[in-house]
Amino acid sequence: MTDFQNPILPRMAYITNIIDETSDTKTFKVEFEGGGKGDFLHEPGQCAMLSIPGVGEAMISITSSPTFKDFLEFTIKRVGRLTTVIHQLEVGDQIGIRGPYGNNFPYKLLEGKDILFIAGGFALAPLRSLINYVLDDEHRKDYGKVDIIYGARSVDDLCFKRELFENWPKKKDTQIFTTIDRPEEGWDGHVAFVPTYLEELQPSPENKYALTCGPPIMIKFVLQNLQKLGYQDDHVITTLEMRMKCGIGKCGRCNIGSKYVCLDGPVFFLDQLKQLPQEY
Amino acid sequence: MAVYKKITKDNLVQFLQELTKDRILIAPVREHELVSFSPVADAGKVDFTFQNSFVPPKSWFFPQTEQIFSFRIEDGKYELSAPSLPGGTVLFGVHPCDLKSILALDPVFDGKFDDNYYCTRRKNTIIIGLGCQSVGRNCFCFKVGGGPLESNGADIFLTPTGGDFLAEGVTNQGTDLINKHSRFFSDSSAEQVDKEKREGTDRLLKQSTGLKGDFNLPKVKAFLDANYEIPYWEDLSYRCLGCGICTYLCPTCHCFDINDYARSGLEGERIRCWDSCQFKDFTLMAGGHNPRPSKKERVRNRFMHKFKYHEDRYNIFGCVGCGRCVQKCPVNIDPRKIILDLQEVAGND
Repeated sequence: MTDFQNPILPRMAYITNIIDETSDTKTFKVEFEGGGKGDFLHEPGQCAMLSIPGVGEAMISITSSPTFKDFLEFTIKRVGRLTTVIHQLEVGDQIGIRGPYGNNFPYKLLEGKDILFIAGGFALAPLRSLINYVLDDEHRKDYGKVDIIYGARSVDDLCFKRELFENWPKKKDTQIFTTIDRPEEGWDGHVAFVPTYLEELQPSPENKYALTCGPPIMIKFVLQNLQKLGYQDDHVITTLEMRMKCGIGKCGRCNIGSKYVCLDGPVFFLDQLKQLPQEY
Repeated sequence: MAVYKKITKDNLVQFLQELTKDRILIAPVREHELVSFSPVADAGKVDFTFQNSFVPPKSWFFPQTEQIFSFRIEDGKYELSAPSLPGGTVLFGVHPCDLKSILALDPVFDGKFDDNYYCTRRKNTIIIGLGCQSVGRNCFCFKVGGGPLESNGADIFLTPTGGDFLAEGVTNQGTDLINKHSRFFSDSSAEQVDKEKREGTDRLLKQSTGLKGDFNLPKVKAFLDANYEIPYWEDLSYRCLGCGICTYLCPTCHCFDINDYARSGLEGERIRCWDSCQFKDFTLMAGGHNPRPSKKERVRNRFMHKFKYHEDRYNIFGCVGCGRCVQKCPVNIDPRKIILDLQEVAGND
């Protein structure tokens, strides 16, 4: 939908639904005037710049799968000035959008493979676009087993609960392993940090790619544990975040060495990541 | 097809005046001791003898502050409108270092996503380059692959010859413009222009009083490719004040910030303005994480950008040797010295 004559000029779209995921995270369904997503066609893992004129703009991952034909979804945590204002928006309000930007999860490469998703907290959002792509009835046959290890601080902090507890477990060859950090009344599921749960589950690396998103400290230990389990660096995929303004490789702030996260990321294989300066 | 002509200073003024009839003329003008590239109505005001403008002429293509769009809310709906951009323009008097800087900026603003604001101005602008008449003590274009009479990047290039000028049509657009206004020019030849540039360059370089020592940029680049963590950056950062003047005056720096202003709830604008990787907030993320938290990382980023990252990405070095940062740095941080230091660390073989 981005105007290629002027890629930094947003288009105004409408919020058509809002889901409260947690106490500080909401999922916004977005459609263009007249309904649908128009020619805004993205790949799983890509991002978009969302904005409110007069307030500001930020890069947000597109959490909806391209297989959702009629709308886009963005899961937004209230962390700063713009996201606080976005959280006050209501159904029917307008929001600026431009994109899609960045590279994407290598969903073609993953065909025929088992996939292990590992996510912490609100960072399930970027992986969700690929999860729903892979689990879509049309694509499910193209992929092997899907395991999802997902944890959050508390039950309240678990996002996408309906998919997590109802939709995804019903899919063929799909297992969901949910955990929370500390015991909680009414929770009879697993209690452990995500990296520890990964260690307990010991998923085999055979014919498998691992994709992980989460807070930096979780990522650090997840990557260590994946290595212990025998996952090769070119079979481990994660995403990076940097501050961004333009989203199109001009404004200069999201560079890690010679790479711009807005153009060359956000998706990186671990072996690529190891080639980059540790400045993120 | 290139053309080679001569033009007297008086005719040059008249030629420029003629061009203002159907184009905007942006040219160096001196106000007090400051030379800046500004819109000029009277070509007689153009300064032909300046050494270096304070702010580089990139500001024509990439203004210090620029509106991206304005908006108003009507009947509960946002109306966004992008500003109209300038039409036909002549950017006159660009020295070779700054010409080269525009070639370094082009691939940044062009590319997968064209930056409409930069690219429209660039497309609508004819650049008339002007060779240098003196080499300042901070100039080092000739150490980073350029020269005081290099025409690369110009549509028309003028070589000063004691009051008058030799003129080359470097691009077709430049040649056409000369041919269209041939009454201001007299004939010259490729040989004469070539000879004058060669001899002029030799003469100018002999004047150079700048820091001695030859640069080996590929070697510096190879060293930086292999060495990210070196104590040198931290040592250098102790001196840096983080004021950002180097990046504001650098002709190849392209970083910008985007900010929104709303005069009321019902109207406002989004603008972009120059920003600097030397500022702490530059990379500060919502939530508080900062990947470049100290001056060490920020100073390193600037030099790595000039001598490695820009080359990695666009095959052109990010330093053109204009010397502005050398001249204006309040604590005398000097990229020439840094290059020589890094060469020394890399070994003088």
